[in-house]
Amino acid sequence: MNASVTLPKGILNGVRILDFTWKTVGPWAPRLLTHFGAEIIHVERVGSWDDHRYAAHPSPIVGGPQKEFTSEQGTGPLHGGGHADGKKPYYNTPYFTILHHGKLAISLNTRHPKGLALAERLIGISDAVVENFSGEVFPSWGLTWERIHEINPRVVYLSTSGFGHTGPYKAYRSFGPTAAAQSGLSLASGLPGMPPAGWGFSYMDVMGGWMGGLALVMGLLQARKTGEGSYIDYAVTEGAMSLLGTYMLDFQVNGRTTRRPGFPPGNRALWPAVAPHNTYRCSGKDRVGQDWWVFVACETQAQFESLCRVMGQPDLSTDPRFATNEARVANQDALDAIVGRWIRPRRRYDVMRRCQEAGIIAAVVQSAEDRVEHDPQLKHRDMHPVVNHPEIGEFEYEGYPVKLSRTPAFVHGRGPLLREHNRYVYGELLGLSDEEMKSLENDKVI
Amino acid sequence: MNGVYDGLTVVELADRRNQWAGKLLADGGARVIQIEPPAGGPGRWCGPFVDDTVDPDRCLDYWWYNTGKQSVALDVGRPPAQDLLRRLLAGADVFLESTPPGTLRAYGLDHGSVSSNRALIYTSLTDFGQDGPWRDYRMNDAAHLALGGHMASTGYSDPTLTPIGGQGHQAWHMGCVFALHGITLALFDRMTTGEGQYIDVSIHDACSIGTESAVPEWLYNGATLYRQTGMHASARRRADLELPTADGMYVIAVNQTFGDRGWAKLIEWMEEKGVAGELTDPKYRDEAVRMADYRQGTAVLDGIRRLIAACKGEEVFTRAQSYGISWGLVRAPEENYDVAHYQQRDFWRDVEHPEIGRAIRYPRGPFMCDALGIAPRGRAPHLGEHTRLVLEGDLGLPAAQVDALAAAGVVR
Repeated sequence: MNASVTLPKGILNGVRILDFTWKTVGPWAPRLLTHFGAEIIHVERVGSWDDHRYAAHPSPIVGGPQKEFTSEQGTGPLHGGGHADGKKPYYNTPYFTILHHGKLAISLNTRHPKGLALAERLIGISDAVVENFSGEVFPSWGLTWERIHEINPRVVYLSTSGFGHTGPYKAYRSFGPTAAAQSGLSLASGLPGMPPAGWGFSYMDVMGGWMGGLALVMGLLQARKTGEGSYIDYAVTEGAMSLLGTYMLDFQVNGRTTRRPGFPPGNRALWPAVAPHNTYRCSGKDRVGQDWWVFVACETQAQFESLCRVMGQPDLSTDPRFATNEARVANQDALDAIVGRWIRPRRRYDVMRRCQEAGIIAAVVQSAEDRVEHDPQLKHRDMHPVVNHPEIGEFEYEGYPVKLSRTPAFVHGRGPLLREHNRYVYGELLGLSDEEMKSLENDKVI
Repeated sequence: MNGVYDGLTVVELADRRNQWAGKLLADGGARVIQIEPPAGGPGRWCGPFVDDTVDPDRCLDYWWYNTGKQSVALDVGRPPAQDLLRRLLAGADVFLESTPPGTLRAYGLDHGSVSSNRALIYTSLTDFGQDGPWRDYRMNDAAHLALGGHMASTGYSDPTLTPIGGQGHQAWHMGCVFALHGITLALFDRMTTGEGQYIDVSIHDACSIGTESAVPEWLYNGATLYRQTGMHASARRRADLELPTADGMYVIAVNQTFGDRGWAKLIEWMEEKGVAGELTDPKYRDEAVRMADYRQGTAVLDGIRRLIAACKGEEVFTRAQSYGISWGLVRAPEENYDVAHYQQRDFWRDVEHPEIGRAIRYPRGPFMCDALGIAPRGRAPHLGEHTRLVLEGDLGLPAAQVDALAAAGVVR
């Protein structure tokens, strides 16, 4: 256990955040602040842990206190298995590190009166409190906004939940797919006439988490300006609806609904309608047998004429079916068939390079493997930095995409071990003696 | 209304990539001056339009992304306009631009040329950032969803069907949220140092960290994911959980656990609809048994499929949620206007539109928080609506000089 903690120098040195988040959407907000030297204290329940310590999803251990974890419950380091003795857990998988690197970790039983008292003392010395429980959890501990504000009027309280802390849905449960579905994001993704394709991951846990991170820095800025804390009731479904304003206004003004034939338009373009604008099958398949695809679009006449030349069919640009964008949109099926035939036997990165060299929008449908192993741009921008983990060794992870010239972001080594910083937080920050800490441990408070 | 960005002056060079970041600044109280070409920025021409009639002052996509901004129409390609923009930046707090790298250097408007304003936070939000081998590649929103990995995870279980990118400028949104994250951090820093800085954000970088488990699955497990209709891509094929309802909607029936109380209610509900079948077998009262079946078997899923097919979407959602089951109903965006929950949370905000003689209800924005005050504060500007206000009022140009610039086509 560390008795003291030294964070790298950064914009947010001196900012302390009490972090009760778990799963995916919540941890992103404080994680984005770790890059700038905030002191983030991640609180885990006594006798249990954040389930991302072991697995992304599904977790084999949700909700079970003190369960014995062995490597049989997962394979490979993502699932926390593979330790030499097959029993001792890592408590610290790479995925946990992605979400919690640079944070401090403590254990605390907030349902014990002494634990709640410690939580309140920590709120008293923090700049922000962050959680993503369902709406009833914090109040059930006695931690209403009124109480939090009374303890520390300067503190920013960011609550991230599916539907928010007020209204008829406040007790409803949600994770990424729920929020995407309810908001309309899922419906606005797919081929016409087919079931919604939605998003093939929890877009609203990731983007939703980033929006939470934005709310947190906004709250800290406002508190620094005014000296007053604030209560940010962030409902992820409302965040998602805020990404769909155009459809809302189209309905309000024109009465047009998104449940209509032809919507969503697959990968074709609607506002504005331009053609070609689609994904096309290339030669080759990925490791699990799915075809490889490339996206190509022409937004200008010049781009289309270039595409005709690249395809070796310059006459196409004077063909009345394709001579103008309007004609191309009207004859999109025929045009897609022509472009598709040209691309079908070709290699995807060759198509992208040849089109791009001619000024045409083109992008390979890249998998994670493509991005990590082959994408020269991400490599150049150092988007998969290597971190050193004392138990697992070196591994790559996903970096931070904002490059500030004077106060650059930095990357920490790893996520914290389970209750690694109890001594620092309870001893140094709160001034508890060894005896007091021992007694709290015996009472299963920490 | 107070706002977190009160008192700031932001200059935004009109571009579809960055306009949501500018909107959130304006919604938070900043004065956002959007510089657009005399013919109007690209955001005015994309549609949809009021009554589907093309008009740069009646583009609904523009209305949404530009609430509360001011419009100054300048031809930045011409030296007199470049000079005006330099003078505006001398008094600005934030500059937001998305031009192809190198463009503004040629105009004498790159960071080095305007950094005599030491407090300026100069933010470039571009497709690939300011350097790297793909820096000059041409992209749009869908292209980013392809290259950034979202499409590879999204689409249909049928392996012959195309990957899909979601509609609604989502790649640009991802870029904007990080650009504004950087700006807000820089503002926080500036309060103590007084110094601005240069911020370089790449939409591709932002998108590439936004695919949840895809990268960790590859990095740590060597797994390639299967696309699956309406649900998470996964290293193993899973049963379909996007299920049709009796009234032609879909429910995302993904749930992480079925506790005893929720399960008992679910079975009661299935019996009420006459679809419980074998799930009344007492063995499913054991959580381990039913969860194992839910993950690997067919009995629980078949029962859920029958139940959802027997109910209307709204009933599925509200009853499941009341039992603690986190199923979601695939709603159309506009169907949320009728949901009492959001009405009670004051999510819809009236914005007056004299163009059509009435107010329109806009989404508030992502956060319910009076102290931050992020909400639309007024309609989007008409093209060049504030040109004179800014050139004469802020820069002190005589009216006759603005007339001459307008006659020469430099301003509008």
